[in-house]
Amino acid sequence: MDIYDVLLRDFPFLLKGLGVAIVLLVALLIIGFVLGLAICLLQLYGPKTRLVQWPLKLYERVFRGIPIIIMLFIFYYGMSGIFEISAFGAAVLAMGLRSAAYQSQIFRSAFQSVPSGQMMAARAMGMSKMVAIRQIIFPQAAIHAIGPWTNEFSSEIKETSLAYVIGVVELTRQAHYIITSTQGNVLTVFAVVALLYFVLNRVGNSLLYAYERKLAVPGFGK
Amino acid sequence: MADDLILDVQEVKKAYDGVEVLKGISFGLYRGETKVLIGPSGSGKSTLLRCINQLTVPDAGRIYLNGKEVLDSNIDTMRARMGFVFQDFNLFSHLTVLDNVRICQIKVNGINKDDATQRAHRELERVGLSERANAYPAELSGGQQQRVSIARALAMDPDVLLFDEPTSALDPELTGEVVRVMQQLAVEGMTMVVVTHEMSFARQAADEIIFMENGHIVEQGTPAELFDASASDRTRAFLNIIKEHE
Ligand SMILES: Nc1ncnc2c1ncn2[C@@H]1O[C@H](COP(=O)(O)OP(=O)(O)OP(=O)(O)O)[C@@H](O)[C@H]1O
Ligand SMILES: [Mg+2]
Repeated sequence: MDIYDVLLRDFPFLLKGLGVAIVLLVALLIIGFVLGLAICLLQLYGPKTRLVQWPLKLYERVFRGIPIIIMLFIFYYGMSGIFEISAFGAAVLAMGLRSAAYQSQIFRSAFQSVPSGQMMAARAMGMSKMVAIRQIIFPQAAIHAIGPWTNEFSSEIKETSLAYVIGVVELTRQAHYIITSTQGNVLTVFAVVALLYFVLNRVGNSLLYAYERKLAVPGFGK
Repeated sequence: MADDLILDVQEVKKAYDGVEVLKGISFGLYRGETKVLIGPSGSGKSTLLRCINQLTVPDAGRIYLNGKEVLDSNIDTMRARMGFVFQDFNLFSHLTVLDNVRICQIKVNGINKDDATQRAHRELERVGLSERANAYPAELSGGQQQRVSIARALAMDPDVLLFDEPTSALDPELTGEVVRVMQQLAVEGMTMVVVTHEMSFARQAADEIIFMENGHIVEQGTPAELFDASASDRTRAFLNIIKEHE
């Protein structure tokens, strides 16, 4: 059996690996989005006391400052002594928490790009702070955030392959299985895998670009 | 007459870093009245206007709108009754002109979308911008943006409109269109407080002019009293400087 037959036979495994990578990606992005937004809102609109702000800052620094592989090891091997956690769960948690640190920064600078006059006008018209944030600040911040967020999306796709190191059976590990079972053919197998990552990246990016165009407002932010 | 007192400003004080910029300002505004606030830069005009709707929180004093005190607890309802027109427009830049004029009617006053749309079109017509309903703010000239912001305020059916130098950010050739809208509002009996350096507007449209300096009201009176027969050296000096610049 040459490598192409093997690839054809094992392609469903690669697709399964891709599926795992996508689920991991979506899960970590959701965690990152929700937590990142919460952090950003607390930083901008929450109590300005050190008790609240300092831990948020520390969180951001820690998760941005430590290599993701170390985080994966800590969350998988380190935590499994304390509570039961699957490799996949550890990967979602480690990468999601880190993405939250990045996304909170993206959101923060997006919110800060909205001129203060917008909030002032909204409040002057009788909007409560909550309504003003929801109706005026959010939609404008979204326009500022979508570009950088697309970058975060792209880099997280690529980072999912690192979950390999704690044994998550995602795309890269499936590829590795094929290679070990056929002794070699590294180049061909990884070329196919590279193509799969690339296609996923392009599809995701195209969707996000389309969304960016949909949000676009003539002359906005100029 | 007493219940026609729309706005009652009593002894408003405000200090920044220990420097008092409003030293106890009082005045009343009756239904249909246009008051024009003039004074040198830094005299506290903007601060006073912003204290009225609490965009700046005064240190002391009371504000009554239609006999009800403006308080922390009712501030959003009170603000909805006071339109505010900013020097730099502050239109919501992600929304079309129509949505700018509609959104607060819907989200603040709870008006249904159809009625809000009708009202928005009426107010846009009033400021001469019906054809631009679907444009975005960045696609309009400054004068047009300011007229939209006036329409936005009018659509809330406010008891009073507060203008903070509505023409100061505009190129000279664009001030006319905004001043004309304000003049028309004054004629129609809108109740307004206008901070402006447009003396022709003050002369024609003001029922009363208040001259402020250093956080005090120096003098107040009809345009004729202030422009032609001011009792105050300070007022005359200020008006002379303005005249030289015109
Ligand atoms: N947020 C602030 N913090 C500190 N000082 C302020 C603040 N806002 C206004 N001031 C000061 O208060 C004084 C009055 O300012 P204000 O803007 O009310 O004057 P104005 O009469 O509107 O002047 P202009 O004609 O230039 O608009 C000024 O000395 C100004 O520097
Ligand atoms: Mg001012």
